[in-house]
Amino acid sequence: MARCLLLFVGFALVLSTTARELRGSETVWSGLVIAENVAQPQPIPPELTGIERPLKRLFGYNQFQVIGQSRKELQTGQEDWLATSKFFGLHVDAHGESRAGYVLNLKLYKEKELLLETDAKLSKRSPLLIKGPQVGGGQLLLVLVVQ
Amino acid sequence: MKTFEEKWTAWLDGQLSDRELAEFEASLSDKAAAKTEKAEAKKLGLLLKRELGPQSLLNAEFFNYQIRERIARLRKAPAWQAREPGSTWWTIRRLLWTGTASLALFLVMAVFIRRDQNPAEQSQYLTQILNARVDPVVSPNATISMFETNEDRVTVLWTEGLQSLPADYAAK
Repeated sequence: MARCLLLFVGFALVLSTTARELRGSETVWSGLVIAENVAQPQPIPPELTGIERPLKRLFGYNQFQVIGQSRKELQTGQEDWLATSKFFGLHVDAHGESRAGYVLNLKLYKEKELLLETDAKLSKRSPLLIKGPQVGGGQLLLVLVVQ
Repeated sequence: MKTFEEKWTAWLDGQLSDRELAEFEASLSDKAAAKTEKAEAKKLGLLLKRELGPQSLLNAEFFNYQIRERIARLRKAPAWQAREPGSTWWTIRRLLWTGTASLALFLVMAVFIRRDQNPAEQSQYLTQILNARVDPVVSPNATISMFETNEDRVTVLWTEGLQSLPADYAAK
């Protein structure tokens, strides 16, 4: 009986420690997405399946293609990274972690020209969508998701 | 000065000194009757001593008596009252069971409370846009707005009037 109890307590401690460690390293997916309305839409990329409904509902397009992406595992919350396509670059600079999420500075470049800059607290439960410039018949979208 | 009754009692018990004995016996009117009474009193004393004296119990009888007493007490009193003084309800087994039950209860409560708190926690931690700006030279007519949709749990930075670009810019 006492042994069972000890085992149970040990198991609970291991679980809580593991959960804490897992929580310590989270991955932020950043993507440059071209949204378009086409007659034969391609299936949505797997990175966007979790937000397919709000993407379609908010922006009104039926096809979403990832033209640049980056997946960054955050250890300290102080990292920075770049998601690029042929002409666009999204620079993300993390400024620490809080209970609400990661504090990020985002800069969207068209080649070397800064188009847009924003600071945001990216929640671990809430993606960030940014409507960028019109590109041809479609729209450039920036997507950030904590995975 | 002793009274007659005191001297009588002392005479029966044989506790008079020689001089007192001689004086007391000389004062008796019927010495023979007094001696008979003394002999009977002595007999009575012996009888009482034999019959009413403290009875010594054997070990077996003593333990039987204790056990019978305890059984009677247990039958009379409820279990919680019949405990030995100094003993406690918290035996090792009960402590372990209580500990396990408390842990289980804690886990169940934690799960339920966490489930209840999730909606509030989620609304509290929607992504927040702190500020946003566009280059006024590149996009002089650009406007920025931001909103959150609680239904989809997304935060949107909505720009209008950014410089439009040709379709070539959609290249990977």
